[in-house]
Amino acid sequence: MREKLIAAYKQIAAQEADRAHRAGELLLANEELIFQNKEKDCRAAELLVAKDALLFENLEKESREQELIIANQELAFQNADNEKRAAQLHSAYKQLEAFNYITSHDLQEPLRKLQMFTSRMLLDDEQELSIKNQVYLTRINEAALHMQSLIIDLRTYSVASAHTGEHKNTDVMEIIHTVLREFATSIKETDAEIIVKGTGKACVIAFQFQQLIQQLVENAFKFVRAGVIPKISITCCMLQHVDTPIVLPLKKEYCHIRIADNGIGFDPLYKDQIFDIFKRLNEREEFAGTGVGLAIAKKIIENHQGVITATGEVNNGATFDIYIPVDSGTSDC
Amino acid sequence: MTATNLHFTKIFLAEDDADDRMFFEDALKQLSLPTQLVVAKDGCELMYELETAASAPPPQVIFLDLNMPKKNGFECLKEIRQDPRLKSIPVVIFSTAGSTDAVEETYKEGANYYICKPRSFSLLVKALETVLTTELWPSSQPPKEKFLLAIS
Repeated sequence: MREKLIAAYKQIAAQEADRAHRAGELLLANEELIFQNKEKDCRAAELLVAKDALLFENLEKESREQELIIANQELAFQNADNEKRAAQLHSAYKQLEAFNYITSHDLQEPLRKLQMFTSRMLLDDEQELSIKNQVYLTRINEAALHMQSLIIDLRTYSVASAHTGEHKNTDVMEIIHTVLREFATSIKETDAEIIVKGTGKACVIAFQFQQLIQQLVENAFKFVRAGVIPKISITCCMLQHVDTPIVLPLKKEYCHIRIADNGIGFDPLYKDQIFDIFKRLNEREEFAGTGVGLAIAKKIIENHQGVITATGEVNNGATFDIYIPVDSGTSDC
Repeated sequence: MTATNLHFTKIFLAEDDADDRMFFEDALKQLSLPTQLVVAKDGCELMYELETAASAPPPQVIFLDLNMPKKNGFECLKEIRQDPRLKSIPVVIFSTAGSTDAVEETYKEGANYYICKPRSFSLLVKALETVLTTELWPSSQPPKEKFLLAIS
């Protein structure tokens, strides 16, 4: 009996131990579950965040799309605008061409006839012209000649405005020497002293640049003081935009050319007006010319995005300073 | 002024401007050449005159203004050079405009000389004398640098 009891007790004890063990296991399982639940909650929260992020990204995308559409419209508008401008430019260019043709042809016709008739009257042996009338006829002829040079210069000015030609890397000194060769006769006749110094390269429309130098050298030869041997110095150097007292528009390297003479100079009061078209600072009887030359020079400088200044004093020479950006950014150089 | 070395018996002038025609005729008179002048007032008239003269024997020469109504000088030049009966007749362009384009084009189209209309009567006489009495001919086209005649 006792043995039976012991056995039963043992069994109960074993069952108890087993139960305790299971309870422990259950506790563990429970903890695991709690952990898993927490994990799940955490994931759910993460998913929520991710969903929000996605939503935001979608919104962002939509608004970007909207922006792109607007930008596209803007571009299309700009293109249309550009095309319109190009068309306007083209028509302006055509008008300029027509104007150039008129000046080179139609305006010259009546002028040439005027000269023909007066020359015939002066040549006519059959009719005795009074001295007074001969003078009048000569004056008419001179006026016609002056009108002719006005028209030719105006045309040159207008062609310079049309701004046609290819920008090319050019040795500026080479152009200066070419121009001086053209003035060989003037140099010889006046016994002029010519000084050329320095080096320089720039991206220029070669024929326009040559025209510019020509114009300035011609000026130096024209406005000489009576009885004074002309002295013309041309110096050339490269400099940075900050290395000069003048404000230069581009933050680039510039080619600086200075053309100075010892001629009649000018009143500094007119240092800007001197470049205005048809502006003359001297009597035409004394110094021939149309007053277009320096306007052409300025126009050419503007085509090259450069700067030109004039300094001088009456009877103490004139100095022209030219600054041309080595590369204007708009060119093919 | 007397002519030496005469080459032409018949001169054609195409010129729409009455004053210029008068200048030309007067200048030609001064040269007293035994030459017949045929005047046309525009390109169409010139082509008609040339048509009727095509059978006549050369030597002949045509002075051609460029800016003319109905048919301009460029068109006449082209037609003349394409017509087998006319293509060997020397053509002298006689124009106010000495623009590079006009000079280039007429040279390319086979004109023989190009003269910018002079600004004084004596220069006009000299221009005609140069063309009609000096040894610019035979009619083959000169090298380009001699195409534009400088009269001074």
